[in-house]
Amino acid sequence: MKYSTFSLTDNDQLKEPMFFGQSVNVARYDQQKYPIFEKLIEKQLSFFWRPEEVDVSQDRTDYRNLPDHEQHIFISNLKYQTLLDSIQGRSPNVAFLPLVSIPELETWIETWSFSETIHSRSYTHIIRNIVNDPALVFDDIMRNQHIIERAGDISKYYDDLIHYSMLYNKCGAGTHTLNGKTHEVSLFELKRKLYLCMMSVNVLEAIRFYVSFACSFAFAERRLMEGNAKIIRLIARDEALHLTGTQHIINIMQDGQDDPEMAEVARSCHAESVEIFKHAAQQEKEWAKYLFKDGSMIGLNLGILNQYIEYITNLRMHAVGLEPAFSNASHNPIPWINAWLVSDNVQVAPQEVEVSSYLVGQINSTVSAEDLGEFEL
Amino acid sequence: MQVITEDLIFQLDESETLLEGLERTGHQVEYQCRSGYCGSCRVTLRAGSVDYEKPPLAYLRRDEILPCCCRVLEPLVIKAHLKSKYSA
Repeated sequence: MKYSTFSLTDNDQLKEPMFFGQSVNVARYDQQKYPIFEKLIEKQLSFFWRPEEVDVSQDRTDYRNLPDHEQHIFISNLKYQTLLDSIQGRSPNVAFLPLVSIPELETWIETWSFSETIHSRSYTHIIRNIVNDPALVFDDIMRNQHIIERAGDISKYYDDLIHYSMLYNKCGAGTHTLNGKTHEVSLFELKRKLYLCMMSVNVLEAIRFYVSFACSFAFAERRLMEGNAKIIRLIARDEALHLTGTQHIINIMQDGQDDPEMAEVARSCHAESVEIFKHAAQQEKEWAKYLFKDGSMIGLNLGILNQYIEYITNLRMHAVGLEPAFSNASHNPIPWINAWLVSDNVQVAPQEVEVSSYLVGQINSTVSAEDLGEFEL
Repeated sequence: MQVITEDLIFQLDESETLLEGLERTGHQVEYQCRSGYCGSCRVTLRAGSVDYEKPPLAYLRRDEILPCCCRVLEPLVIKAHLKSKYSA
């Protein structure tokens, strides 16, 4: 495995494993080893949206009228989501593309990562609309210890994989001394790092977004910050699809038909995988505590959110073949959230908030007194 | 069509999906997209068989089905509990 942007060796792409085979040369989709990735791409493309389509002007007034502790909840969640999508908008490309060896998966990774950049742009759209100086909000992301703590845990698996795969690509397997530091490099260890990274991304999309989603929808249940909720619904729809993507990748790896050694890798990572889930659930509980430090919001409190975190952690663990971590969390404490997460009809909220996308490119229907100034009867 | 769960036996109406039937009869069942790509509603199939108009995008193990979009072909036995059993 030596990375090339266009491998000149003629190969049968159907015989390549998902990762660590020959670098992809021709981006062709007439034949596919795993058609599921092509289907995910099509679905993601059909979901395409632009933040500017959603009118968030009412949110400005709503936000001003929120009590301080609810403003804190709202804006902190946006900061956290900004962090998550900053990572996701670039990292799958940087980390996975040099390792992938089938075209449909390569293109899925690019499509997936691109959609995260739309999410990032949507946070600027929301924040620009609700506060006078967006810079204050963005600047705080790098200075807020509660957010930065999470950033380290999320990016470390990516960084580990990226650095190790560079070493492998440059020096190959073996013991190498670089700048006075000795590195043991093996393909098995590289595969382990990929597997753990994929598991950590899976956890990010499966759990880390959901505290924030729950708060956004709890505001919208009170008919507050509805523009934001509309955007979050679009984001949640994308994230559900990305989650399906990583679940497929992980399950194909575990199965071992694609790459027998990967099944062994998966087994060797079992305990660490469980730990990644548990650690993320714990961090999200701490995040909820930070959100509610000055008071809860109507419809949600720390206890309920903790139960919800445990409940979805169990569900997501089951989906990647792990035993649920929390024995007393078998039902959803906030079932109303699902009505917001139904994504097939994203544009038609149960509350029938205004759908502004239909207005794009249409005639401006606001008429002021001046418009009729030259009329004489 | 007859559906047997851990707690109940019920008739699925022709006009409803299996997910809607489970909700109507008070079962604890998760959902999100309701169109086969998120996998939230997956349940374990113990007996019987289903098919799909289009293969769903969500990952499914051999013994799992998606009640939101499957077509029930014969009487089913699935793993699902009534909500009331959880609160008890």
